[in-house]
Amino acid sequence: MQGPLIDTLVRQGIGRRTFLKYCATLASMMALPPAAGRAMADALAAARRPSVIWLPFQECTGCTESMTRSHSPTIEGMIFDMISLDYHETLMAAAGQQAEEALHAAMKENSGKYLLIVDGSIPLGIDGAYSCIAGRTNVDLLKEAAAGAAAIVAMGTCAAFGGIPKAKPNPTGAVAVSDIVKDKPIVNVPGCPPIPVVMTGVLAHYLTFGSLPELDDKLRPTAFYGETIHDRCYRRPFYDQGKFAKTFDDEGARKGWCLFELGCKGPVTHNACATTKWNGGTSWPVESGHGCLGCSEPDFWDAGGFYKALSMPADPLKMGAAAAVAGAAAGVAVSFANRGKKRAAQVTHETTTLADLEK
Amino acid sequence: MPPELIPIQIAVEPSGNARPLLHEVAELLKRLLETGEPSTIDLSALPLNPADLDWLQTRLGEGEVSCQVQANGESTLDETACRGVWWVTHRNERGSVVAQFIEVAFVPELLKAHPQDIEAGREQLEVLISEL
Repeated sequence: MQGPLIDTLVRQGIGRRTFLKYCATLASMMALPPAAGRAMADALAAARRPSVIWLPFQECTGCTESMTRSHSPTIEGMIFDMISLDYHETLMAAAGQQAEEALHAAMKENSGKYLLIVDGSIPLGIDGAYSCIAGRTNVDLLKEAAAGAAAIVAMGTCAAFGGIPKAKPNPTGAVAVSDIVKDKPIVNVPGCPPIPVVMTGVLAHYLTFGSLPELDDKLRPTAFYGETIHDRCYRRPFYDQGKFAKTFDDEGARKGWCLFELGCKGPVTHNACATTKWNGGTSWPVESGHGCLGCSEPDFWDAGGFYKALSMPADPLKMGAAAAVAGAAAGVAVSFANRGKKRAAQVTHETTTLADLEK
Repeated sequence: MPPELIPIQIAVEPSGNARPLLHEVAELLKRLLETGEPSTIDLSALPLNPADLDWLQTRLGEGEVSCQVQANGESTLDETACRGVWWVTHRNERGSVVAQFIEVAFVPELLKAHPQDIEAGREQLEVLISEL
């Protein structure tokens, strides 16, 4: 049952070539050098399937939907063969007493070694009574499961930052996983829902290198959350030229100009939508003509309105034409500042640039 | 529908970023000859637009060998007119391109059979022979 992964896959008719191709693609998506694909394939093939416990708290099951439906039954589904998913209320056949027994058996057998995935925020109001499973509060269950975990993945914006349950006035007193657990490594995989390949990428990294990927100051994997939507947006050249759609049906909108003035939160949102896209690479929000909502950032629900431009005042009554012009000008300034910052980052971090290749 | 099958596509001009890549490929070929070490360039990691990729593929030309691997979608591994330089395209089972590489090698990695797979094949053959 817990043999090397490749044996499990070969038994299911997934050959080594398929696996090598999967790893090459995954390495490419994770912005790792091509040679890493080969190394990943070797390490992953030999990896033992780690026990994974998935606890759902105050959530809508959207994260699980994203994971299981995205490319199903294709390559992302393979990740479920790489792990031993011992407890997941929505996906498991068992219920009630049997489900709770499976949870406790998995926690006991794999103590100190299992990976804990949490989706949903944790309510602390009236002693956590807003959300209970099997008569126990979420905060109680989280503390118990976290104690024996090797690491915790906070899946989705709710688990990572509190998300929609935490939106003002936060009636249940919802908090993020990192507000409760302080003594375990935590990876935040925000998004409402997160991109499936980001999830599989984090798991593959853990299986391959035996460690968690490099994280930023909000505990997000830099391979996917290192740049903003705006930095990688294919409409970025229009922003730089000052060409903006003013309404959703004007000439600018039809020509695919920048959606900044229609409230796009791309410049302040760190996520990989612009490059990995959605629905198997078909499209993503900006490509379909709607600005980014910023769903992978903390408190995105209270960020002042989805259709208000970032640098415009939040109070619509005071927003005149002059303010709109000032907003656009500020936007251009931000653009230059960002480009400068990005250039500096590239100078210090990137080993190979096109300039290097030219010599 | 795979995005490249959508009938209306945005016209794109080559950015000029593909040119220096040819120098890189030449260097890698030299390394392959001198040390036998193969290498790979991940095309999706570079700022290349579709027109740049077309330009690059046209310049490298078509060679004698073209291979297809059916592994969770089709992968094509085609040798370019420059021998030892392979254009590798991985597609998913819906036909969308998921990754693209230039591989500089005598034979691309994916085409080689794994020793353990060969071992399994040998066992299968022995069973076949014993049943004759």
